[in-house]
Amino acid sequence: MTGAPGISAVIKLLFFGRLGDSAVTAPEFFEASEGLTASAVRDALAIEHPLLVEALLEPQVLVSIDRVIADWNQPLTDGCELAFLPPVTGG
Amino acid sequence: MYRRVVVQNEDFDLADEYRCLRQLDAAIGAVVTFCGLVRDCQQQARIDSLTLQHYPGMTEASLNEVVATAEQRWPLHGVSVIHRVGELLPSDQIVFVGVASSHRAAAFQAADFLMDYLKTHALLWKSVEIDGQRSWVEAKDSDQRALQRWMQSSTSP
Repeated sequence: MTGAPGISAVIKLLFFGRLGDSAVTAPEFFEASEGLTASAVRDALAIEHPLLVEALLEPQVLVSIDRVIADWNQPLTDGCELAFLPPVTGG
Repeated sequence: MYRRVVVQNEDFDLADEYRCLRQLDAAIGAVVTFCGLVRDCQQQARIDSLTLQHYPGMTEASLNEVVATAEQRWPLHGVSVIHRVGELLPSDQIVFVGVASSHRAAAFQAADFLMDYLKTHALLWKSVEIDGQRSWVEAKDSDQRALQRWMQSSTSP
């Protein structure tokens, strides 16, 4: 990132399914320090987006990093894409 | 082993898909095809439309994983999976699963397995519009239960 103190990673956020409805005012990009985790991003969103975070805390919600299912505690890297995935309903 | 996995907005032609599987190999003795349609009714309400959201790239990967699992469990010659996304109307075709094998038992079972796994593993999210109001479809416990039966046996429910 360009100069902001403590910020070394920009993470793209995606919210699918019903999570997208709770995330209409959520940022598209999240600036963080490198090594931050998906659960830390979720917690950081809590102040401004309490309803979204409530939905993200449901145990069935999964995360992917760069389109691979990941652990909530996997470190995020600069430029990565973090997606929040509710239970699927295809077929 | 032939595999075709497609996520698309466009409709598909059942006869074309069947022909493609049938012509793969002369050792094929059975082709089972399944076509899912959009029902006009959801929880006793008549829907105006159904919209499927997907995650480009990852949805295809999730479908490929499901197909790979079926390929490991049954002796298959070919599998085709087509899932439509975007806005669909009642009676529209939504999903196609086709399986070619030497014998019918494997083809029937693999097609059944593919649909059960696809419903619970493919990264797709449905919403429906009813009287102008859009709402997300909730995941069903019955779909999870359908999956359980494949975990009790290596090749049959």
